[in-house]
Amino acid sequence: MGVTLTAFIEQVANGTMMGAIYVLVALGLVLIFGVMEVLNFAHGVIFAAGGYVCEVFFVHVIGSYPIAVVLTMLTLAIFGVALERAVFRRLRVNMPMQIVASLGLILMAENAAVLIFGPSALQLTVPSVRSLVRIGDLSFTIQHFVVIAVCVVAIAALQIFLQYTRLGTALRATSQNAEAARVIGIDADRIYQLTFATGCALAALGGALIGPLFLIFPQMGDLPLLKGLTAIVLGGMGSIPGAIIGGFAIGIIEAVSTLFIPTDYRDMVVFALLIAILLVRPWGLFGVRVRGDV
Amino acid sequence: MEHRNILTAAVIAVLAGLGFSNGAAAADKTLDIGIVTARTGPLAAPGKFQLNGFQLAVDELNKTGVKIGGDTYQLALKVYDTHCNATEGASAMQRLANVDHVPVVLGEVCSPTAAAEAPVAADYSIPLILTVPTAPDLTKQGNSFLFRVNGDTDQLNKALAVYVAQHHWSPLSFIAWNNDAGRGGVNGMKTLLPKDIAIGYVGYFDVGAVDFSSDVTNIRKSGARAVMLFMDEEPGALAIRKIRDAGLDIQLVGTLAMGSDRFLKRLDPKYLDGMVQYSAFPPGAPTPRIQEFGKAYRAHFNEESHGFAAQSYDGLMLAVKAMQAAGTATDGAAIQKALSKLSYDGVIGHIQFDDKNQAHPPVYITQWCKDGKRKIDFPADMKSACGAG
Amino acid sequence: MAIRAGVARLSIGVMFAVVVYLLPVVLVHSPYVLFALTLTLCYAIPAMALNLLLGYTGLVSLGHMGFAGIGAYVTAVLMKNGIAPFAPAIIAGTIVAGLVGVLVGIPCLRLRSHFFIIVTLAVGLILYLLFNNLDWLTGGAAGLPGIPRPGPINLGFAIIDPRRPLGFYFLAATIFLLVFIVQYALIYSDFGRSLAAIRQDETLAGSRGVDVFGHKLTIFALSAAIAGLGGGLQVEFLRAAAPQSYGFLENINLVLIVIVGGAGSLFGPTLGALLFIALPEMLRVADTYRMVLFGAALLALALFAPRGLWGLAVSGVRKLRGHHSALTHAGHP
Repeated sequence: MGVTLTAFIEQVANGTMMGAIYVLVALGLVLIFGVMEVLNFAHGVIFAAGGYVCEVFFVHVIGSYPIAVVLTMLTLAIFGVALERAVFRRLRVNMPMQIVASLGLILMAENAAVLIFGPSALQLTVPSVRSLVRIGDLSFTIQHFVVIAVCVVAIAALQIFLQYTRLGTALRATSQNAEAARVIGIDADRIYQLTFATGCALAALGGALIGPLFLIFPQMGDLPLLKGLTAIVLGGMGSIPGAIIGGFAIGIIEAVSTLFIPTDYRDMVVFALLIAILLVRPWGLFGVRVRGDV
Repeated sequence: MEHRNILTAAVIAVLAGLGFSNGAAAADKTLDIGIVTARTGPLAAPGKFQLNGFQLAVDELNKTGVKIGGDTYQLALKVYDTHCNATEGASAMQRLANVDHVPVVLGEVCSPTAAAEAPVAADYSIPLILTVPTAPDLTKQGNSFLFRVNGDTDQLNKALAVYVAQHHWSPLSFIAWNNDAGRGGVNGMKTLLPKDIAIGYVGYFDVGAVDFSSDVTNIRKSGARAVMLFMDEEPGALAIRKIRDAGLDIQLVGTLAMGSDRFLKRLDPKYLDGMVQYSAFPPGAPTPRIQEFGKAYRAHFNEESHGFAAQSYDGLMLAVKAMQAAGTATDGAAIQKALSKLSYDGVIGHIQFDDKNQAHPPVYITQWCKDGKRKIDFPADMKSACGAG
Repeated sequence: MAIRAGVARLSIGVMFAVVVYLLPVVLVHSPYVLFALTLTLCYAIPAMALNLLLGYTGLVSLGHMGFAGIGAYVTAVLMKNGIAPFAPAIIAGTIVAGLVGVLVGIPCLRLRSHFFIIVTLAVGLILYLLFNNLDWLTGGAAGLPGIPRPGPINLGFAIIDPRRPLGFYFLAATIFLLVFIVQYALIYSDFGRSLAAIRQDETLAGSRGVDVFGHKLTIFALSAAIAGLGGGLQVEFLRAAAPQSYGFLENINLVLIVIVGGAGSLFGPTLGALLFIALPEMLRVADTYRMVLFGAALLALALFAPRGLWGLAVSGVRKLRGHHSALTHAGHP
């Protein structure tokens, strides 16, 4: 019994950490979807790019991990603006072509990564966060707690931005009603760029945080994208609190489920959960049910 | 004046680089050898070692050129990326057969892709020599044009199963890639182990999803004595670190490429002490052929060699030997006959194809000692001390 | 007028069929091109299936290759173990895929737009996982090697041997044309017109008496069945089954084939399949950059040809006609 309780706690702790990563991905997705009605399937490669760019900054530019992470977020934010202007702006009403464009981006990014960095995965070794913390029988690396802490800070920063700044309020206004926002003088195009920038920065942060824990390889964003999608569906497609709760929930459920079912079905648990939510309560925990939409 | 000389020298150098002044090469014909491998996608890393092995063989042979049936050839590799996709594999084989007209194709990393390539090889009478895929079923389809140089999972696992039984490492748990190599390995092991070895927790993970925390929890929960890791060195290093950092002092059993110094770049040696793995190619073994290959590989690629490279190197060498024995660089059917009769001593050991075109190269078991050295523990006549494994 | 249009359509159809059957005669010296064309026909069938759903009914399914996989594995297991010859095996694959389509459709078709896309994505991924993990049934991750081709078919005036490339091409072409006819018949029927109404405005169609759910379920099941047929044909062509052929990227690939080719058009899926097979093969000359270039091509297409290739062709023809008429009508540009 003692072993099982320890196992459960260990998995909840692991799940919270992975959940934090899913939250960062989900927040980016829900922002972009909420404001622009764009389901950004290329979000996963932004996540991966975050990992790669962070490695480049850390190893070749500046040996400080925190600064490398910040630089990564800035770089991918700028890239997000470019992406919005060059690609997604034109496809705002054309959903099928958004999917085509997203896959074009995924193919280019994942294969360019192999061309630039070679076929082997990269390892981001940050000595300061490698040391272990022992709690009873269990041990975690410091990075484990760093990830959760940074996620909490990011959530807080996002909330402050959205609620207490002019730009943030403008963003919320645009997400509620773009036409009305334009009427009162908000430059919707600027807002869209800002949204994309923020979304990409968050995804990049996720990739940069997971770098020291695991490996950096081109497909590393594929599964987080799917889990992030599940999280925003669970939480409600336009809801930020929903994305946060959804992300942590997915992480913990996924981790705890491995105590009971074979791990090769772990992803199936998440997908089955996704289907279940969509069948029972598609507008999610915090979403708004729109008549005629379902 | 000096400028003119330098300019002339530069022009000559460029032309030489383009091959115009290489007398020997100008007289030789070029022979394309078909290669199918993974250059992109999740299995690009093992694919690189495979390709390096072929490249090393080609570069070595091209120093003197290859004499086949009265002509001398310079070999060239025609490489197609199948990125572990069955349709791509069939397309690549078709192109190699009908457009590039290669006499023989080598390589492939993934078993299902090889399964799609094999029938095309038979259609056009072009021998396909596999150097990495391990699914046992591949050579059991009665396709006389499919050859395999490397051992399949059952061959690789057999020695390890005996070893595990001898040491009574029961219960034995597994962490494996959720692909043909991983699943095949676990299933094979389960049938090979005697009844008194209990199978504990079995954990699968997708190639690339390297979060082993749940596996560690479950292994601890199941009270396993040993854990077998069916994956290559990239996730392997992470898994071992996670297991040891979690305080689990259990016996580690490795597979694939875990018996090489490359592992030490990813892991502190203290993590590895006592780990046991099967190996088709122990890089530290004192055998001259292994040492020479290791040196040549390091000189060429500036890194430590890998079993896949050795298997591929041997594959290409024996393809050439077969072409020489058959006296033809174009007749696939004749090359196939020559291959089935060939007896060849390669870097990985003696290679001879059985009636199913499967070779039976030696399988070793190596063990990590303290401070990053290894020793060979099996076969008994090759046992060595720490530092020679 | 309607009869003339019908005769016109019939003659185009017959010409199309003749072209398809005669192509290999022209290409007798290029077995590689014949291979690529056979592969195109194999992929065009699931593409046409998805087109019925995506192009004509407005339902984007990101998991459709899962149904192709069901058809493929049923056919493969039946044929590999000698349980059934080709025709019953592939029909069984088609039926099972259709049944699974019904099972999936009943709960999922209540959802719309984004939600439907995500739920189909999840279904496709679950099916992939099952193909990969159920070792005892599907061969698991190692796939199923050595799937036999159908034996020779005696037509009386000729014998077609699918074990040879030309013979298989004729088999594939026949199945392809059958599916094409089914697609055509569906679209130009009352059923098809109801589908178009549903695509444009579901609520309106419902209020005018169309059984929206019934129509959606029927087309979903048909679409799943045809995808299963395509899967069975594919796996017979390759003679090996692999779970990765039905994974995340392959599902998206199929959606792209339909969209890029031109969703909602008869020839779009075939054109898309042709492009998606032909273009990567042509790019093999730049092997390491191949997929990067292909991705760039997709991106360019999304930005500059929002109606897909077929739409591009149609508007190109229109522009030419318009230009022509501007010239003949001597007047202002």
